Amino acid sequence: MKLQHHLGGLEGLTEPIDFEKRVFVQDWERRIFGIHAAMMGLSDSLRGAVPDYDLDAVPTAFASTWTWADLRKGAEAMNPFAYFQYRYYEKWLGGITAYLVEQGYVDESALAAATEEYRADPDAALPTRDGAAIDEQVIRYLREGDSPRRGPATPAFAVGDRVLVGDPPAGEHTRLPGYLRGRPGTVARVFEGNYAYFCSTGADGLGEPVPVYVVRFEPADIWGSRAEPNPGPVFADIYQTYLSPSPAPAQEGDR
Amino acid sequence: MTAQFGYPEDREERSAAQVRALEALLIEKGVIGSGTVDKVLGYFESEMTPLNGQKIVARAWTDPDFARLLATDTPAAVAELDLPLGMAGAEGEHLAAVLNEPGVHNLVICTLCSCFPWPVLGLPPYWYKDPVFRARAAREPRTVLGELGVALDPDTEVRVWDASGHSRWFVVPARPAGTDGMSEAELAALVTTESMIGVALADTPA
Repeated sequence: MKLQHHLGGLEGLTEPIDFEKRVFVQDWERRIFGIHAAMMGLSDSLRGAVPDYDLDAVPTAFASTWTWADLRKGAEAMNPFAYFQYRYYEKWLGGITAYLVEQGYVDESALAAATEEYRADPDAALPTRDGAAIDEQVIRYLREGDSPRRGPATPAFAVGDRVLVGDPPAGEHTRLPGYLRGRPGTVARVFEGNYAYFCSTGADGLGEPVPVYVVRFEPADIWGSRAEPNPGPVFADIYQTYLSPSPAPAQEGDR
Repeated sequence: MTAQFGYPEDREERSAAQVRALEALLIEKGVIGSGTVDKVLGYFESEMTPLNGQKIVARAWTDPDFARLLATDTPAAVAELDLPLGMAGAEGEHLAAVLNEPGVHNLVICTLCSCFPWPVLGLPPYWYKDPVFRARAAREPRTVLGELGVALDPDTEVRVWDASGHSRWFVVPARPAGTDGMSEAELAALVTTESMIGVALADTPA
């Protein structure tokens, strides 16, 4: 069990919410966001995208897959205490750096040396390289996206059906929030189309296109007596892979 | 962030130098160009901003047919408006609006990461990405909302939307009282990012 998969509902966090409304609290955070978005726009996986991206025409040295799944895997692989220790974009910086080193785009010792140089002279210029065709693809990706919708819907459940969320082993990555595992719910919406995921999540079950539902969960079914006063329902997108039929309607206060 | 961890004093300088070095090496390697990161940032700063969401909400407040379409087929409704090209682009591929109404207040969260409807709201503010918010809002949204200054009637149902799949939810807040006769532009100015995620109400006219 990974804490990162079970954040929802975690108790003991009694401090007030840090209502910081800025997107970036340090200037450097903008740069790692930009690098991430560029890598997504150049990802080899876009060859299978719905928009007809012509990656062969893009003169980038990047030939790997970089999607949200890869970024999330990094965050989910962290020591859970370190996950809380680092600020949001510090985790991005760590994860993206590790990936680029592992994939051979960045040499660890060259990075250390360059980091020292920029430490000594933060205003030192970046190298110059014309990237017009690269930029064009990245912006095109941002405008046209990478929808996971594939093929017509083949739903096994209909609105109003009672369903039970499974508890498959979550390996390096899952899209099933921990607090919904094993809980009963009711299908509130069946999406048009089936939806793939960026990668196979192995025994967790995602990857191939499957129907997705909005499932409504009653607070008593999730939190039991730990629900807050006057609790309301939780709605979540749940991939069909994670669902099975629930034979009996839940009773009031039933766990 | 808590102060319980022993951070080096030069924490930010280290990160700043590392990200600069990373960008430099990626340019040298030919992964990106010198201006790629600036291009990306410019796109979000100039086109994919909460102004888009504000216009969507203001239209929903003034056009009931639009509001109905927004609730049932969000991408189709958004496509009707004169907004920058890219509303169905990255992190907007499957937009889904939820409308506050009398007796119902919606709150969008992402307990697994930080899924956010970029094209309509821009990039997520820090509070949305904070693990404490993500953890607490799932189980005690009403309490969290109270702490953030959203006083709801006890009878108002709080609905939480956890962005665990492909949908990128956003909230259409309730239209504030005292706004009769206001133009769409005037109404849009009352709509904050926070109100479109559900941790605030729309501003009231001054």
